[in-house]
Amino acid sequence: MLLSMDRVTSYYGKTAILKDFSFGVQEGKCLCVLGRNGVGKTTLMRTIMGLTDRSVGDITIMGKGIGASPTHVRAKLGVGYVPQGRGILSEFTVRENILLGTFARADRRPEIPEVCLRLFPYLKENLDRRAGLLSGGQKQQLAIARALAVDPKILLLDEPTEGIQPNIVHEIGETLKMLNRELGITLLLTEQHIRVARRLGDEFLMVDNGRVVAGGPMAELTDAVINRHLTI
Amino acid sequence: MAAGSLFLTQFNWSAFINALVLGLSIASIWLIAALGLTIIYGAAGVINMAHGELIMLGAYSTYTLQTSFGIPFLLCIPLSFLIVGAIGLLLERVLIRYLYKRPLDTMLATFGVSLVLIQGTRIIFGSSPKYVDVPEFLSGSLEIGFVNIATVRILIFVVTVAVCVALWFLFFRSRFGIQVRAVTQEKEMAASFGVNSGRVYMMTFALGAGLAGLAGAILCAMATVLPTMGGNYLVPSFLVVVVGGGALAGSVAAGVGTGELQSIFAYFTNDTFARFVLFILIVVFLRLRPQGLFAPSAKRR
Repeated sequence: MLLSMDRVTSYYGKTAILKDFSFGVQEGKCLCVLGRNGVGKTTLMRTIMGLTDRSVGDITIMGKGIGASPTHVRAKLGVGYVPQGRGILSEFTVRENILLGTFARADRRPEIPEVCLRLFPYLKENLDRRAGLLSGGQKQQLAIARALAVDPKILLLDEPTEGIQPNIVHEIGETLKMLNRELGITLLLTEQHIRVARRLGDEFLMVDNGRVVAGGPMAELTDAVINRHLTI
Repeated sequence: MAAGSLFLTQFNWSAFINALVLGLSIASIWLIAALGLTIIYGAAGVINMAHGELIMLGAYSTYTLQTSFGIPFLLCIPLSFLIVGAIGLLLERVLIRYLYKRPLDTMLATFGVSLVLIQGTRIIFGSSPKYVDVPEFLSGSLEIGFVNIATVRILIFVVTVAVCVALWFLFFRSRFGIQVRAVTQEKEMAASFGVNSGRVYMMTFALGAGLAGLAGAILCAMATVLPTMGGNYLVPSFLVVVVGGGALAGSVAAGVGTGELQSIFAYFTNDTFARFVLFILIVVFLRLRPQGLFAPSAKRR
């Protein structure tokens, strides 16, 4: 397992948002986390990054326990994080945002990796533009480029297609597929678009009320499972 | 000025230009005193009430280096930067780092630190005034045309400009600068990309303290060294930071603006009345624009 959780409970204040949460994702695979709004998908991502108030249980990356490590140490284990709302630093230029990613690189090379610019030509042409001026889709590209600058083993993508025009949803899906299949980067993503999830994911994890309620190969994501846990 | 009458009646161009040059000098004094405060407030959000006392420590470290070790004045300036920077580092580790999320408590705690530093200095050095010897060329004055300015003021101006330029490069052109600005804008995102915010705060506080030490070292060339001297610099420093909005560029603009206004008002009236007018203007300004001149739009922690 590249990343796994064993019976993790994660809190904001005294409220447990994730409860007794266990799962694992193998190297090179793509795991889609599904569930309605407010069931704990974002909290799952934040728990992995160590951004919740407190969590108990074991979280391991490549066999290394990280449950007690601060966020900046976890990032350096090769985790590229694309948060919900994208977390772009709007005062920074595009270049500075991507450079921020390089602080988590194992080799600490302070330059923009070539792959970031090859994948996103728009960013290459606008390196000195203030990131706050970018459109939603461009910000999402920047967030992915920044996470790639980490030289990640695994990408955590929280709703990468949320709030993005339909024609670009497909484009981002293709980019992620390429990263997974050709560069061998493991993906863990939360997704609302079932079609995107089916096309990208090797496996799925269904979350409801802070617990894992179903999971397995994507082929097992039947309409019955979707109806029970996704339709409102 | 003009004894007996409050307002000078006759306008004199050369005297006025002298006043403008003096204003630049006042600006550089206020600015160098305020730079450390700006950095600590701007990056870590800490309102450091002990800032004036860190300036005082810089003056005393220069005095000690000079009288006990015979180190020449100009060399004392960078050494005081290092010494007070180290004191700041210690202070951050044992006290300030526990208070980042509690701004009001930081104010009280740093006020307490300032009292301890004043009394501690008094115990070690006594309360009698000390004087620092400056090299010959700093005790004279320079005449360019009809402008007459003390050389020590020129030195302060040059050092202030050099420090501002160095800080600009540090914050906007170095990896450390990206880290500091990232932590200031979005602490969680900075951490998610491997930036250790605790270490960044620590280094920032030490840098700010070091700058206060540097200010103290250079300002004691024209001021008496006393345990209570810090108080004289705290108010102008806060003025500059608050009017500037906490950003480096803001402090530079606010320092030049307030220094020049002080000097121009003083030219037409006198020093005390000028300060009175300046304070009123600042109150009005802050009523209209509470975020200051160049407020960073980033969220405060």
